[in-house]
Amino acid sequence: MSLFALGLFTSPLAIVVMLSVVIGLLMILLFGYTSDQKAIGIAKDQLKAHLLAVRLYRDQLHVVMGSYGKVLRGTGRYLKLAFKPLLYVIIPITLLIVQLDRSLGLTAIQTNKPFLLTARVNNPQALDSISIDLPPEITASAPPVHVAADNEVVWRLVASQPGAYEARINAGGPNATEAVTKTVRVSSELARVSPERLRDHFWARMFSSGESALPDNSAVESISVDYPERNIPLGFAGYEMNWIWLFFILSMIAGFIFKELLGIQV
Amino acid sequence: MGKHLRLVCLLALCAACACSLLSCQRAQGAASAKKMIILGVDGLDPDLLTKFMADGKMPNFARLASEGSFRRLTTSIPPQSPVAWSNLITGMNAGGHGVFDFIHRDPKTFQLYFSTSKVEGPKHSFQIGKWVIPLGSGSAEQLRHGAAFWEILDQNHVHNFVYRIPANFPPIDAKGKTLSGMGTPDLRGTYGTFTFYTDDPTAAVGAVEGGEVVQVEVKNNRVATNLIGPDNTFMKNAPPSTEPFTVDVDPLEAVARIDLQGQKFILKEGEWSGWLPVQFQLMPVIGNVKGICRLYLKQTHPRFQLYVSPINIDPENPALPISTPSSFSRDLAKEIGEYHTQGIAEDTKALMSAVLDDKEYLQQSHAVLAEHRRAFDAEFPKFHDGVFFFYFSSLDLNGHMLWRLTDPQSPTYNAEAAAQYGNSLEEFYAQIDQVLGEVLAKMDENTTLLVLSDHGFAPYHRSFNLNTWLWNNGYIARKEGGSGVDSGEPFTDVDWSRTRAYGLGLNGLYLNIKGREKEGIVDPSQSDALLGEIRGKLLDVRDPKDNSQVITRVDLASEVYQGPYTHNGPDALVGYNRGYRAGWKTILGAIPADVLEDNTNPWSGDHCMDYTKVPGVLLSNRKILAETPALTDIAPTILAEYGIAKLPEMKGQSVFQAR
Repeated sequence: MSLFALGLFTSPLAIVVMLSVVIGLLMILLFGYTSDQKAIGIAKDQLKAHLLAVRLYRDQLHVVMGSYGKVLRGTGRYLKLAFKPLLYVIIPITLLIVQLDRSLGLTAIQTNKPFLLTARVNNPQALDSISIDLPPEITASAPPVHVAADNEVVWRLVASQPGAYEARINAGGPNATEAVTKTVRVSSELARVSPERLRDHFWARMFSSGESALPDNSAVESISVDYPERNIPLGFAGYEMNWIWLFFILSMIAGFIFKELLGIQV
Repeated sequence: MGKHLRLVCLLALCAACACSLLSCQRAQGAASAKKMIILGVDGLDPDLLTKFMADGKMPNFARLASEGSFRRLTTSIPPQSPVAWSNLITGMNAGGHGVFDFIHRDPKTFQLYFSTSKVEGPKHSFQIGKWVIPLGSGSAEQLRHGAAFWEILDQNHVHNFVYRIPANFPPIDAKGKTLSGMGTPDLRGTYGTFTFYTDDPTAAVGAVEGGEVVQVEVKNNRVATNLIGPDNTFMKNAPPSTEPFTVDVDPLEAVARIDLQGQKFILKEGEWSGWLPVQFQLMPVIGNVKGICRLYLKQTHPRFQLYVSPINIDPENPALPISTPSSFSRDLAKEIGEYHTQGIAEDTKALMSAVLDDKEYLQQSHAVLAEHRRAFDAEFPKFHDGVFFFYFSSLDLNGHMLWRLTDPQSPTYNAEAAAQYGNSLEEFYAQIDQVLGEVLAKMDENTTLLVLSDHGFAPYHRSFNLNTWLWNNGYIARKEGGSGVDSGEPFTDVDWSRTRAYGLGLNGLYLNIKGREKEGIVDPSQSDALLGEIRGKLLDVRDPKDNSQVITRVDLASEVYQGPYTHNGPDALVGYNRGYRAGWKTILGAIPADVLEDNTNPWSGDHCMDYTKVPGVLLSNRKILAETPALTDIAPTILAEYGIAKLPEMKGQSVFQAR
């Protein structure tokens, strides 16, 4: 059961703050565990020494230039030492952000507010035979728009009740009629949503879809729902911010605090 | 002993200070406990109100009139909204506040400009290639002079809230919440410029009154075109900024998908979009300006027709100051959703240009009133003390546009349209009555209520082209060899060396005075005699159609204005009879062929005439002792309620005082 379901955190701001603190701590611990702390400490000390030399021997050009060269070399050495642990940190963080973005970056569809569902097909002829079956809680509020230029059919839909629903797209393939579905999440609360269902495109699916791939032989290449983007209200003067920027700033601050507290060299 | 005496003195001093502080607080508390609510209803006509009250259509107004007072309110000279509301705001006439018309002129250059505000780009800049780099920022300046009543309330620590009062752009510094109203431009710096996209080859492409028609091509069921934004002053010659957008029309159904800056939505034929935020990039990275607009898909097949509203200043990111505090416009948008910030929100020009029809105009106009009501419902419950002023524009703009639907004498009367929309104006009146009902429900013994309008209304059947009349009567001379054809431009072919008088604005008559106008010829000592001569002739003008008197009064500025700006405005104000008004072209200085012509424009009701024929209304829950109250009495009345002396330059006095 997720924290959201437990109702421990219903405010997106509280969730982002908590995640930033926890992940800031984990990042520091992971960095400390995977890095050569002694070598990083020496590299940083040497950098400080060379910078000090630049200040102390300002009147001796050859010393200053030599120190600058050592600063450059020292920086390269430091980056080399930090690269591997940063890799250990960045990969899980990126995957985590992708997952969290499905809940924090988008809002679910609101009841009684129109939204678009777009099906893209692999050939213009398929546009003529495409249709949609909707659950009773979702209705079409306008005829579909067939966009030949993009091989797309777009429906304007309205949901009457919160819930997770399946919209069924029927597409006439070259030989047989086929049907594929797309989940539509309707909620006024935090909800995990999948904006797109794709055929193939492994990496695209990794980053933008939370649903299984469409069948390989399907005429439908993708089905998307335009979930609105979410901005996190900061609670003063009406300012809002995308959660990733807020997370980035807060987790950096948390990381710097924990670095000092735990004595980890970064 | 001396030590004890000093202690006693100190204690006495402290006690005296505490007492005076307490009494001050009490006095302030008593003053702030007093409440005053003012509903400013532009164009609320006393005759229509009386009729609708008698018919039982406005029960709340009827109740207020019977339990309190109902008077006709003398309007301004001339009875135009910017002038009238400036009279109300300052307690002075145009000679004191300097607003004489919608339009003013620079007598040295004959450049026309908005009378209430001036928006200017930076004074200095330099050029790099096609780019113009500004040195400093631009400015927005309010041209109305004199202290506003809420400024004086602020100085006396009386809380106040002022919503969309005209002639307050950019809003003057204020402690309370204010939002600018009439006079606030759209993002293009005009009073409102719509854009109409069509693939109709017969459409007149280019600028039309209040808008622009753009020819588009529907190719593979897709229209790729540009949204037109403000002039890009960061570029040489300041071309209009544009942002691309596409419309995909379904090949069979009357529906289209629109993609505007990543915002994708579907509109059916005959549907309006909500407010859409748009951003125009004037200069990469540093020069963006934000606005909001609404789209209306008028037709998909056989012809593509899309209306885009004037781009309004975005209340959440205002490009120009529109509220005090500056965060108020954003806070209000968060609470009620985006709203029109443009001063004249009802798109009357789109109806006049036949881009919108009656039904579509009414939809747009109802949306404007719905926004005002949402704002009222959001702000009125927060009002606890001081002065609450709330402005409604609907009866004025709809009085202009819908008069013809109830007036069989109107040249634009159409029985079919009248049957369909004849009740529309009445419905707007009824909505204002509902608002009054909300106010009456919250009244208590400490609250004074004023419901007022700046002027009434009258039919506008016939146009009088003052400049043509002046030309025919030898007061305007035209150059030898000139085309003599009206180009629609101000003062085409006018020979200023032989011209003695000219008309400009809705009621303005100016003499071509030596030393004031660039090529003035009339000696100031001769001006009274000349004005007297013209006045006499104008009052004699009769309409050949039915021998009606066209002009019923001509007021000389020297007789009706007092104050330092008296000589900045017209020398005389032409007061038209009911049914008559200055023609559309003559008000901008053109000289059409005919002196009198039928008004065939949907703009069929008006008030820019003889001020005695179009009074406003004043209703109150208290006894109004003034028999003939005037707009200039309102500011002194508000101040008197809080025991504040009116300023010496104010012309009126409290309507609750006997005269």
